[in-house]
Amino acid sequence: MKVRTNKMKKKVGIIACSGEKLIGGTLARAAARIVVEKLRPQKTIVLCQPLFMAGGLERHGGQEERDFAKNHSTITIEGCQEECAKIAVDQYSGESAATIYIQEFLDAHPELKPKSREDLGEDGMKLAEIIAEEIAKKVDELFVSN
Amino acid sequence: MRRLSEKKVYIIPCSGIGKVFGSIGREATYIVVNELAKGKAVLECLPLIMKGKKEVIEELKANKVITIDGCPLKCSYNDLKEVIGKVDAQFLTTDIVKENRGLKPEPSIIPIGENAKQLSRKLAEKVSAKVNKLLDGNEGANE
Repeated sequence: MKVRTNKMKKKVGIIACSGEKLIGGTLARAAARIVVEKLRPQKTIVLCQPLFMAGGLERHGGQEERDFAKNHSTITIEGCQEECAKIAVDQYSGESAATIYIQEFLDAHPELKPKSREDLGEDGMKLAEIIAEEIAKKVDELFVSN
Repeated sequence: MRRLSEKKVYIIPCSGIGKVFGSIGREATYIVVNELAKGKAVLECLPLIMKGKKEVIEELKANKVITIDGCPLKCSYNDLKEVIGKVDAQFLTTDIVKENRGLKPEPSIIPIGENAKQLSRKLAEKVSAKVNKLLDGNEGANE
């Protein structure tokens, strides 16, 4: 896990890879929603990955996502080794403040076996909660350090 | 060169997680690739496409592509048009919501609610029908 602390403003942007093909994308998405809805709703905002990466942003109104990430700390959540979210943030808005790798949590909790990419099941949701708790800690660190 | 009948249809949902409409598109996609058009339709990650993964882009260019978007910004459609230069058919989840006013989707994203599930299936049926048309060779690359 990488953490960088700077650029702090009132909210932290959470951008999950959201990939549909792998279970890691589903876990990333679930963890992001848990953080912004339940754990740190006042401190975080979810950024839409496809909008962030969309071509012709100026035409389609998506520049706001990139501008937010330029002016706020952003945590990326990666569902696989491709690092799509981190690469996008780094490319368009400057270095992300922290990166969460889902695979690290899958490795650390072999007792929790998510059911499928379509339905995480009870184990998968427990794992998403664990990942979300870790993200919430990073959010707090970013607030304290600034 | 592959015959048309051997082509696949790639379904690319928008991946949005801000509202339930992206989730409906994603759920519909899973119904299509796992059930209604299993073996004919496959799924690919939009972020990976936008990252520029070469083998993925080549595969998409060689096959048919359907995009499903959750909002009028149409990220999936616009991204695909930009990266691979074509989209064979497009769907907007808000259209299926408008067509089924009695099924107001619940705001919950994880998990989605019962109405959202029903809307997903209705959308999946439409997408699946389009998959068959595209593979019959009657339609494509005209969006």
